[in-house]
Formats: sequence, C-alpha cells, structure tokens
Amino acid sequence: MLNYIRAETYKVLRRPYTYITLAVMLVLEGIFAAGFAFHNSHSFATPFGGAIISIVEMGIIGFCMCLLTGDMVFAGQYKNSTLKNEVSFGLSRTRIYLGKLIAQTLLSLVYLAVMMAFFIGLCAVCLPMEGPAGFYSSGDALIIVGYFLAAGIPLWIGGQAAMCMCLFLVNGEMTSSFLYVGIVFVLDTVLSVTGLLVQGGLGNLLVKISGYLPRPMLDTAKTVVGDPVYLGQAWLVGAFWVAACTAIGLYGFHRKEIK
Amino acid sequence: MTENTAVLASYGLSKTYGACKALDGLNLMVRRGDIYGLVGRNGAGKTTFMRMATGQSTPTGGELELFGASGKDLRAQRSRTGAMIEIPSFSPFLTARENLEYYRLQRGIPGRQAVDEVLELVDLTATGPKKFKSFSLGMKQRLGLALALMNHPDFLILDEPINGLDPEGVAKFRQILRQLNQERQTTILISSHILSELSSVATRYGFMEQGRLLEEITAEALHDKCRTCLRLEVDDAAKAAALLQSQLGTDKFEVLPGNVVQLYDCLDDPKRASYALAQNGVALLAMEQKGADLEAYFLNLIGGGHHA
Repeated sequence: MLNYIRAETYKVLRRPYTYITLAVMLVLEGIFAAGFAFHNSHSFATPFGGAIISIVEMGIIGFCMCLLTGDMVFAGQYKNSTLKNEVSFGLSRTRIYLGKLIAQTLLSLVYLAVMMAFFIGLCAVCLPMEGPAGFYSSGDALIIVGYFLAAGIPLWIGGQAAMCMCLFLVNGEMTSSFLYVGIVFVLDTVLSVTGLLVQGGLGNLLVKISGYLPRPMLDTAKTVVGDPVYLGQAWLVGAFWVAACTAIGLYGFHRKEIK
Repeated sequence: MTENTAVLASYGLSKTYGACKALDGLNLMVRRGDIYGLVGRNGAGKTTFMRMATGQSTPTGGELELFGASGKDLRAQRSRTGAMIEIPSFSPFLTARENLEYYRLQRGIPGRQAVDEVLELVDLTATGPKKFKSFSLGMKQRLGLALALMNHPDFLILDEPINGLDPEGVAKFRQILRQLNQERQTTILISSHILSELSSVATRYGFMEQGRLLEEITAEALHDKCRTCLRLEVDDAAKAAALLQSQLGTDKFEVLPGNVVQLYDCLDDPKRASYALAQNGVALLAMEQKGADLEAYFLNLIGGGHHA
C-alpha cells in the first residue's frame, strides 16, 4: 500500500494541474485578504479576527476541493485506460481503490493546510490584530475557526470518499463530478423536501437523515462552537460516510470490467 | 498444476456479453518456454482471452490457471507476468521515464536503473521531456513493451504488439522476444494480424474462431504441413508409392486418401516423377506443386476468404 501511495504522490507532484489549482486558490485568498486590507485603508477597520472568521462561511469550498483533488489523483484512469496496467500486474482492486482514496485524502489535507496557513498568515501580516468593538478578538476567532476545522475535516474526508466512489463507479470525470455534486450538494435538500411532503414517521426520518449528511453537518458546526458532543457526531458522520462510500465503491469496482 | 509445464491454461472458458458469446468453452494451454502465437480473425476472442488472463475481465464460465494457481490464488501470480493488451495506455501528462517510474514505485521494483534498462532496450532513452500524449503510435507501443518487461516477467502476454512499429522497430522487437525466450526462458503469448511476423517467432500456434480453439499445432508440425510438395493424383496410389521408392529412390512422400500422393522430392524436376509413373503403367490424373504459409493455412482452416 505504501508503494501505491508513493507512486500516486509521485504522479500528482508532476502534474501542472496540482500547482495551477493551488496557485489559483492562493491568488483568490490573496484577493480576499486584500479586500479586507483595502477596506482598512478607507477607515473600515476589519481586524485579523474579523477577517479569519470568514473561513467558517466557506466550508463549502472544502467539498469543492474534494472534487478537484479526487480528479487530480484519479487522473482520468478510465479515459486513459491506465487501470489495466495496475490490474494486469496483479495489484488487488482493494489496494488500488484504497490507495487512491488515501492519496486523495492526503492531498486534500495538504491543500487545506497550505490554504489555511496562507490565508491566516496573510491576514496576520496585512491586518491589525485588534479592532473596534463588535469584531471577534483574534483569540476568539482562532478558537471558532479551530473548532470549525476540527468538525470539518472528518466531513470533508467523507466528501472525499464520496468523490472517490463516484470516480470508480462511473466512467468519465464529468459524469462522476455531477454524481458527486448530486450526493454532496443536492441530496440533503431532496431528502428534507421529500420528508416535508411525505410527512408522518417516514417524513420525519428523511428530514432527520438529511441533517446528518456532511454539508448540513458542516453548516451547523459554526453555530455550536465548543460543543464536544457535536464534534463527536461530526467525526462519526464522517467515518460513516467514509465506510459507506468505500464499501459501495469497492463493491462496484470489483465487478467492473476494465476496458 | 494440471500439467507441470503449463504456464497458462484455460478449461472450458466462457465469456458472454448479453447474447454474444465472446468465448465459448475455450480450452487452451501455453506451456513453459513457448512463444505461443494466437491467431484468429477480428472478434475471434483473442483479446477477450488475454484480458481474462490479465484480470481485466472475469469469465462467465470455466476455469483459468496461471502458473498452476486458479481462483483467488491466481491474482498473486500476475506479478510474474508482463502484459500489453490492446493500445498501450499511460498518463498523457507524464514523460516516458516518469510513466515508468510511476509504475516502478507502484509495483515496488527496486532500483531506478530498472527504468533506464528497459528504456534503453526499447530505444526510448532520447525522448526527454516529451509527454506521452505527443508520442507516435510506434513510441507508445515501445513504451508499452518497456512496461511489460520492467519486472523481468516469466510470462509475457502481448496483444498486437507490433502495430505501428517501423520496420526497424519490428526487427528489434523480434530480436527482443527471441532473446527473452532463449536467454531468460520467458514464455510468451502473442497475438498479431501480421501473420508473417508471427510465423518468424512463434514456436506453437493456436487458431481461434468464434471463441473456440480450432487447432493447436507446433511450429514444426505446421512447417511440415505447409512445406512445398508435388501433389500427384493417380489411379493406384499404392503402386505409385512403390514406384517412387524403386524408380526414384525416395521415401519423402505421403499417401493420402483419394489416391493422392504428396511427394516432397523431385521438386526441381517433376518430369522424372511423371515419366517413372507413366512408364510403369500408373495413370497420372493430375499433378500440381503445392505449398502454403501461415496465412494460407489459417484461411484454409477457417474456410477461406477472411483475413486474420
């Protein structure tokens, strides 16, 4: 497995796509931070705490990044027909699947670390540490962001597992991306609306389930900062999504003809 | 292992896609040391069989053995094989060296020199920063062969490996195969539509048609069947045979049903045979010089008229 992950890392680090995507994200972050600094120069004082707290409003970007990092590692294996090189050497399909999932997750975590460090560092350099009343203090903001990230990481990894499943089950990145968007961004709405329409016990169950999908869980995380029970729930939901998506993905991949 | 020399064996192997039978109870055996030429027209099931041997596809019936292992144990044996099935496929955004390094790491092959060795073997050392997506078909084929050889396999499975190679590349490829077979005792299963090329390397042939094996034959036996001869149609084959022995002093002939004698002697002077028969009261009804190559043999086997 270690060999497989090393190989995937080798491949990803040689893709311009990896660096261009990161560069674009960092530029966008830079523009965002510059926006706060620009406001500062016009006497609209947004301190460090007020700027970095915006991270909790951008959890959805984490799920979008799962789509990109999944694609970076999977690298069009169906389109380029490269899976046959792995299968014909006798690598087990389980190893191929889990190797790609782990490589995708590691890449996502590296992206997360770099993007967070860059944005928080940039805000620390460009913005005043303390501001007028009404803004979060630096310490409070860091605690809220820290809690949000602690709850978000397992949920994003759950999203990554969903993306990996889509990539393995469906031929073509475009189709698998649509399926991923459907699962992560639309499914909770479909379930809650259906639940409201159906009503009764089943309706309540659907509404309840919709609240345990990764994206709604992350939305709620920013409102319950410091709650250890919710943090535990987030990790449980993330673990469930990883397990469920991996089981479905592996089942489908084992039955798939490599063409 | 059912037969201790078998590297790859299939027993009643079947594969259906809907109503289409791609393989229909295929029984085939590749023995250790063989260069096994798989011959068949498009859709005969050659690639389907190779895809099953490499784990890309699963059979709907029958059994497959690789190095004596079958079922769940079969997969582990695949690390002893090298394969190139259909068009070689690699990451388009990587160079030849990067692609091979990726697979070297993935397969746990020790030493970076393994990549250099195979690149040199297939003459791809000079491609430098050129990405795979810019390669010609011939270069792609050579990179595919390099990957198949990188782990020093005991068994090579090659599907149409010389497509797109230039004449120099074909000659080099032929030389590599012979070298691997003779020096490393690598067993090779190879399919090709270029039968003249196949006949220059294969030591055994399997002829496939509609998912079945029509005939399996060694290169020597095929050579014997295809060699040039005089086909004599006479009124008394037994008497003709005796005359050929006594008058021409040869025993290089075969008596076939229907009063036909195939003479492998006197090819440069057929009149000697016809005089000897005529002067001794054997009526020569027809005489023709006959010979065949692999292509003619195959076409005759499948009923003629179709290309392999």
